[in-house]
Amino acid sequence: MTLLNSGPAPARDLSTGSGAPRRRPASPSHRGDGPLAWVLIAPALIGFLVFAVYPTLRGIYLSFTEFRVLTPPKWIGFANFQELAGDPVFWNSLRVTVYFVVVAVGLTVIAAVTTAAVLHRLTSSTVIRGLIILPFLISGVVAATVWSWMLDPQLGIVNAVVHAFGGDGVQFLTSREWAIPSIAFIHVWKNLGYTAIILFAGLQTIPPQVYEAGRIDGAGETRMFFSLTLPLLKPILALVLVLNVIGAFQVFDLVSVTTKGGPANASNVLQMYIYSKAFGQFDFGYASAMSLALFAILIAITFLQMRLLRANESEQA
Amino acid sequence: MRTQRIMAAAAATALAAGLAACSSGESDDGTVTVNWWTWDERQAASYEACVPGFEDAHPGVRVEISQYAVDDYFTKLTAGFVAGTAPDAFQNSVPLLGAYAGQGQIMALDDLIAESDYDLSVFDVGVDSWRYTDGKQYGIPLDWAGAAVYFNQAKVEEAGLTAEQVRTMTWNPEDGGTFDDVVSRLTVDENGVRGDEPGFDPDNVAVYGIGSLASGDFNGQTSWNPFVSTLGWRLGGDAAAWPERLPYDDPEFAQTLDYVRGLADRGLMPGFGQFTVSGIEQIGSGSVAMIQGGTWDAATVTQIPDVPVGIAPTVEGPEGRMMISNSNANNIFAGTAHPDETWDWVSWMGTVDCQTAAGVEGTFLPSISEALQATVDAQAEQGIDLSSFVQALDNGELYPAPPTVNGQEVVDTIQPMFEAYFTGERDEDVFAEMAAASEDILAP
Repeated sequence: MTLLNSGPAPARDLSTGSGAPRRRPASPSHRGDGPLAWVLIAPALIGFLVFAVYPTLRGIYLSFTEFRVLTPPKWIGFANFQELAGDPVFWNSLRVTVYFVVVAVGLTVIAAVTTAAVLHRLTSSTVIRGLIILPFLISGVVAATVWSWMLDPQLGIVNAVVHAFGGDGVQFLTSREWAIPSIAFIHVWKNLGYTAIILFAGLQTIPPQVYEAGRIDGAGETRMFFSLTLPLLKPILALVLVLNVIGAFQVFDLVSVTTKGGPANASNVLQMYIYSKAFGQFDFGYASAMSLALFAILIAITFLQMRLLRANESEQA
Repeated sequence: MRTQRIMAAAAATALAAGLAACSSGESDDGTVTVNWWTWDERQAASYEACVPGFEDAHPGVRVEISQYAVDDYFTKLTAGFVAGTAPDAFQNSVPLLGAYAGQGQIMALDDLIAESDYDLSVFDVGVDSWRYTDGKQYGIPLDWAGAAVYFNQAKVEEAGLTAEQVRTMTWNPEDGGTFDDVVSRLTVDENGVRGDEPGFDPDNVAVYGIGSLASGDFNGQTSWNPFVSTLGWRLGGDAAAWPERLPYDDPEFAQTLDYVRGLADRGLMPGFGQFTVSGIEQIGSGSVAMIQGGTWDAATVTQIPDVPVGIAPTVEGPEGRMMISNSNANNIFAGTAHPDETWDWVSWMGTVDCQTAAGVEGTFLPSISEALQATVDAQAEQGIDLSSFVQALDNGELYPAPPTVNGQEVVDTIQPMFEAYFTGERDEDVFAEMAAASEDILAP
């Protein structure tokens, strides 16, 4: 009954306008809705509190403690953060991570925009659109395992091809120069389709009249891509960029399977270092401090990106 | 109506029975179950041989052996400590003694040893590695492991060498001794020229004389350790246990590592990262003629189809043969509900009888010399010659890995530095840094 009665309520709220300060609805039709509302949002709310809010708060607390799991945490103030500032491995990991993010996201976005534009302008085949997203459906561990076989210096098919063209074998995952570019390549291979599909959806929101007008004005496909498609795609591009940067900063599975951070820390990305500190050395306090630092970095970067791209302003509007 | 009532009664009975079944984990007849964990599936099977005898001698006590893959083992164990569900006793590795004993998760066994008149002198190796800084004994040794040389007998013959020459290799850091001669002779380039012949092309090698000795492992157990230890160098320096720094900055250490790295530059050994598969697979594929591996590889490497593999001891250096060994041991969870029954099982496993029964399959090398001899005899019947392992134990050619505090941190810190050395990114100067880093972690 209550459910049925509450039907017209939103309309009335809207009609009262947003200028006046809102009061809790006092109409009889809302009386008694509270408990039911709580019951309905409880599953989501409890999940959020237990699996997001509590771990976050506890993580922040642990970053100020010395905590080795088997004995209770001991408050040590900012000692973990002081150690962090002077830890060369941490700074190296940060550099490695940024290097990975730049290479991986740069390549992903360029390749995805190209793929989406080609899909949008040249084909309407849903089969091809479906195929594009296939690598994204493969688990990261599986993709990393298969690629590490293919990139193996002795047994891999990639080096067989390199040899066939007269090149010297490349130690893709076991040399300092190649480790990060190789992992970035696997990352691009895996995430290209997903990013391309989001961009493709964005492209479909651009009205065809825009292109008709462009064509009447004598613009070619390339000109239209740079003068029409890219500017109109900006909000979606911003979203894709933010998602990709966050995703790339959090890379772990690919590194853990292919190089484990080696050789000589050349691919020891932040998540890998945090993992080995926490679950290898059971130094959860220090690992939490690093996680918090990573969290802060991600917030700052996301904020900056949104500002730089002025994502809210669509040029289409 | 009547049917309904019968069905209701039946349902209620079923429910009650189900509940009863759920709560009977402790067992109604008073049987105590001792849970024991290992990470090695082959050893889990081997130790089943000890269970019937134990259960006959201890009525009312059952033993449940569980195995978890080593990648998950210690995570699962830690979760068990936190939740109070860890096994009563479990196989443990020396680097974790510091963390577990230091945080009160495993039991000091001295009282139990004294009460039961258990004799630790039955062991020939491993006891000292399991004494914590408080001077108490936390582990009862199970096995030991070291290094051995495995060679492809066919390739040795092709090279005009004999198995005896491989079994008696000498080594020194200046000219590499007969080890260097054997490795050079076994190496063949793509034109069929051997490593000790003029015109050898070190950049295009078809068969390497020795599998990679370039390892990031902080104790170099199966790589550089059996070489540098023959010069008198020890991982813990003068400290047999709980060292406060690891003497990587010793000139003899640098000299040895320089020799080892040079083998790759000379084309006699694959470079760092060149092979991503294990030594066993390298020798099996024919791309290397000889490897230095762990004693634990013996059972597998000698079973490679169509590749006859011989076993040789490690090299004999200026001070004879010497290598680091590590001994896994049994620990008892401090939170066990049945310490006495658990001790019965743990001490039962540490007897000549159990070690002999479990060891015959050669899945591990018992810490008790007598049981080891039984293992060697049983394996000899299968055509596998492990006699060099007994010699190593009887002649004192091994020294125990010193337990360290923060063992895993040492492992993680030293590894990238070794990798930087072996990839050529860093030179000798990295060793002083490694020693300093070890001191940072280990010194109180």
